[in-house]
Amino acid sequence: MKSIEKLMRKMEPQHDSKWAKFHPVWDGFYTFLFTPGETTKRGSHIRDGIDLKRTMFMVVTALIPCLLFGMYNTGHWHMVPTGEAGAYMDHFGDKLIYGIIQVMPIVIVSYAVGLGVEFIFCIKNKHAIQEGFLVSGMLIPLIIPADTPLWMVAFATVFAVVLGKEVFGGTGMNIVNIALTARAFLFFGYPTMMSGDKVWMSGLSETPKDQLADGFSGATQLGELASFVGPKADWALPSAEAFAAKWPIMDSFWGFIPGSVGETSVAAILIGAALLLYTGIASWRIMLSFVAGGFVVGLLANLGFDNPYYQMEAVNHLVIGGFAFGAVFMITDPVTAAQTNTGKIIYGFLGGGLSICVRVYNGAYPEGVMMAILFMNVMAPMIDHYVVGANIKRRNKRLKPKAA
Amino acid sequence: MVDHINIFLKAVFSENMIFAYFLGMCSYLAVSKTVKTAVGLGAAVIFVLGVTVPVNWLLENYVLKEGALTWIDPSYADMDLSFLSFIMFIAVIASIVQLVEMLVEKFAPALYGALGIFLPLIAVNCSILGGALFMQERQYSTIGEATNFGISSGIGWFLAIVAIAAIREKIKYSHIPAPMRGLGITFVTTGLMGIAFMSFSGLNYAEAEKESCGDEPGTTSETGAVEVESESDETTMVYDINSEEN
Repeated sequence: MKSIEKLMRKMEPQHDSKWAKFHPVWDGFYTFLFTPGETTKRGSHIRDGIDLKRTMFMVVTALIPCLLFGMYNTGHWHMVPTGEAGAYMDHFGDKLIYGIIQVMPIVIVSYAVGLGVEFIFCIKNKHAIQEGFLVSGMLIPLIIPADTPLWMVAFATVFAVVLGKEVFGGTGMNIVNIALTARAFLFFGYPTMMSGDKVWMSGLSETPKDQLADGFSGATQLGELASFVGPKADWALPSAEAFAAKWPIMDSFWGFIPGSVGETSVAAILIGAALLLYTGIASWRIMLSFVAGGFVVGLLANLGFDNPYYQMEAVNHLVIGGFAFGAVFMITDPVTAAQTNTGKIIYGFLGGGLSICVRVYNGAYPEGVMMAILFMNVMAPMIDHYVVGANIKRRNKRLKPKAA
Repeated sequence: MVDHINIFLKAVFSENMIFAYFLGMCSYLAVSKTVKTAVGLGAAVIFVLGVTVPVNWLLENYVLKEGALTWIDPSYADMDLSFLSFIMFIAVIASIVQLVEMLVEKFAPALYGALGIFLPLIAVNCSILGGALFMQERQYSTIGEATNFGISSGIGWFLAIVAIAAIREKIKYSHIPAPMRGLGITFVTTGLMGIAFMSFSGLNYAEAEKESCGDEPGTTSETGAVEVESESDETTMVYDINSEEN
């Protein structure tokens, strides 16, 4: 460690050298490795062990279980179409290696491109590097299919970082979640690569038809469910019972299902959730009300029409698709969420409800959770505004009798 | 009943005047600096749309449409006055806006001052005429549906302008790069909000997908609550309207 610090110190660009404008980049790396040595000289300041860098790193740590599981899951579903996969834990090494080869490049590209854009902006604007992208760079690979071409990942990352964040003034100023912006960009820009039933299993689009196992379908659970919205002849499965038999709820919980890289395993997500809640980074109000909102709308849908999709158990809604991932890592993003405590509950509840609404009623968007969260991001300032307004009104009322 | 819910959801979310058709952008951009004025203008737009669309519906169905004049005399059955619809709709809108202006001036002078020139400009707000023309094009069968459509479109516009006003209040103190400040960042924000609103309008895409691949599940059920029927030709139609007006 000592030698690294010496090396870093030696590399520090001095004010008069021609590298002076790269000081923010150096500073970013230095403070990433070491706690800054400078202390406050005067005045009183509150000091906390957890700063932005540490916060971001905690979230990245919380995402690691999802990433590891996602890699293995990618490998597993790569083998399923040809019928080589066997039981979930068979061919452990092969699956893991395939998953790493498939997913790691996406992670690397997302980080390299995103941080590159960030560096350019901080050199140009002459401010210290902001660490916001550490988390977004990890989230982007986790919410897209493992087969997404790398140039698309790079393109979406640039779009999201520049138009989603930098034009608003950088970390902490954005109004929509960066990772979701990237995903929405891909979703609307390249719909065939982001939905349908060819993309969710890595390598499926290149596998010749005659090598596929009998009766095989590449759709996700939600893709199959969405077909229930259509006419009966188009249904992927005959009934809700057939769906429940094909996808037992515990499989969905452990994550043995196709889907985006990181969103499948509720178990892995819960590990991350525990860490985020324990460290207080994510708001339990939002998380809880989001799940509650989803559950309530799931129940309401049960009352409605006589259609297998609507009849699905509300609990099942919570473990399939991106709902759990959205509840833990997306809607809780402290920058884009509502800031007031009451607002957080409203925000989470509406977000959860809307997710299931989009999923159930809008057949084209089976994976509607991400879009619903994006919508709530946009609405969050309005919720805050009215919550604050209500607070002011209440206090004024309390004040008036005293004044009189 | 289901029809009414469909019209409401479509007009507020999936065919939002601002985020789906980008109608009424001028006052949307200009008056969205604070939530308070945005709420005022939004309410005025709801009111004007809620009144003009049903009035125009009556006009359309009892005066302008081919054969609409038969209630006077059966011999007018082949009379078609629809070439007058633009001018008639605008006349109705202008007079009702005048009424709103007088009401606002009388009962909310502060709001009247804050809205300034944009209050009379509601008369040429694209979303108001757009509402009337959509009503004509979509052939709502009863005046109830037309009223519902007018008010719902107004609510959609209200939601949009209040949401962006809240965002603009929030980002007032952000370190936005100098060239982007003001209108520039508002445009970017509007674009991002448009993406967010697209979560409600997916069915268009699903139909296109079905045509190209042939294996996408169909989405033409009775039960889908948010049914979007607008095909691509309708969208181009909208742009035509827009360009004629400007």
